[in-house]
Amino acid sequence: MKRRLRACVLVATALGCSGCIASNVVATGDRMVQQPLEQLPFAPAPGLQLDGLYESVAITGDAAVSLRRIWYLFRADGSYTAAALVEGERGASFQTLDGSWASTAAGLSLDGAEPVPLEQAEQHLRLSAPTGVVVLRRSAAQ
Amino acid sequence: MTQKLLQWMGVAFVLLLVGGAAFALTVVKDRVRVVVAADAAEAGPDPVALVRDDVGVLARDVAELRTALGTNFERLGAALEERAEARHADVQALARELAAARQQLAAQAAAAQRSEQQLAQLGARLAAAESAAVQSVAVPAESVPAESVPAASAPVVPAPIEPAPAEPVAVAPPPAKAKGFLSFSLPQGGFAFDREQSWQIVPELSRVGFDAKSTLHDFSGVTSKVSGRFTADFDDPAGGWRGEVACEAATLATGVDGRDTNLREHLDTTNHPQIRFTIARFVPAADGIDRDEQTVAGEVQGTMTIRGKSRELRLPVRIEIDPSRRAVVTGQVRLKLSDYEVPVPSQLGVINMQDEVVVWVALRARLVAGDGK
Repeated sequence: MKRRLRACVLVATALGCSGCIASNVVATGDRMVQQPLEQLPFAPAPGLQLDGLYESVAITGDAAVSLRRIWYLFRADGSYTAAALVEGERGASFQTLDGSWASTAAGLSLDGAEPVPLEQAEQHLRLSAPTGVVVLRRSAAQ
Repeated sequence: MTQKLLQWMGVAFVLLLVGGAAFALTVVKDRVRVVVAADAAEAGPDPVALVRDDVGVLARDVAELRTALGTNFERLGAALEERAEARHADVQALARELAAARQQLAAQAAAAQRSEQQLAQLGARLAAAESAAVQSVAVPAESVPAESVPAASAPVVPAPIEPAPAEPVAVAPPPAKAKGFLSFSLPQGGFAFDREQSWQIVPELSRVGFDAKSTLHDFSGVTSKVSGRFTADFDDPAGGWRGEVACEAATLATGVDGRDTNLREHLDTTNHPQIRFTIARFVPAADGIDRDEQTVAGEVQGTMTIRGKSRELRLPVRIEIDPSRRAVVTGQVRLKLSDYEVPVPSQLGVINMQDEVVVWVALRARLVAGDGK
């Protein structure tokens, strides 16, 4: 009789413990590393004053095959300097640029080229070039 | 009565008019004189003379106008002549410049042709040297070290050797720069669904793990310390894929430190730091290749190595291309730890983990640079 009682207590304890400890199985939908940038509410930003430092946080399109990161420093006087980390056959290397920028109703024009659509979300910009789209986040020099 | 009255009134009115007229004639007959005037006088200019004068004035004006026009036309002609001479000089200068540019271009084309020939010769030499090198290292496959296997303790896997071209081929010119992305020059090339290309796992965007059941509760072990590379032609139903994916076994985290320690002991991560899956081939599912959606579903067949023990494994996967032109690989498979001689964890014989676990992959792989041409 006592043995049966002990067994019942052990089983009840085990069942109780299993009920207390929650399962921590990763759900199938959560296995992939998430990229929350898709949730940003971008809106067109004609004539936006861009001055400041920006770094890319997402690149899509064909440009993403070789382009790893971009940094832009837009100055208030209409000039800019930029760097891109480009993956080539010999590994990644930096390209640097200096030029002029203009933010018009049609978008952002770099070096007098055809403007590309410019959109804005909080602390973020989105530039849509023909071969890709880059999302830039406002940054700060260290 | 009335009629007679009206007749008498009419007669009286006529008599009154006659009487008035006679009285008026009597009054004004001495004051009225009728004079018949002669025709208009002959005084005034002769109209013919006037017309003659007008014609003379017009003739003088026309003569002056002719003189003025002649002068202006002479000036205009001189100006046009000067301008034509200037244009002629400009055209001659441009023609000279064009001829010089044409000569320069011809010289550069000749130089480019010479460079191309030299490159072709170098390519032929390189191909011959590669061929000789491959022949000189033709040893049993077991002794060829895997190219991308970082684990020293793991069994050696034969690395695929690219066949050298049998005949010399012209070396292709270096990849042209495509001007195009926000003023940056990027190498040409990109993803092609129907071409064999190499892909490299992006650890920051990838995870592998397992789901296990135990007496108390179910749990997962996850790590992002995953690396690897594979070569695939997604459109090829023959599925000639190859490559390898590996994870650092010691970094598998279950969320409970004590359990992680036990896990590392059971996996013997000191002696077998990596869990590896070597891809041998791909078998697409029925309708598993969707060219329009650019997705692939099927079974990756290869060898799984856990704790130094290797077993054949078929891993069902689905691959899609994301907007950043990365291959997104997801899949899972059930396997038994005992097949790999991994001791099944147990605490005091009461809290037991099940022998069968679900191993899953959630990978993002980036096209290897230079392979997208």
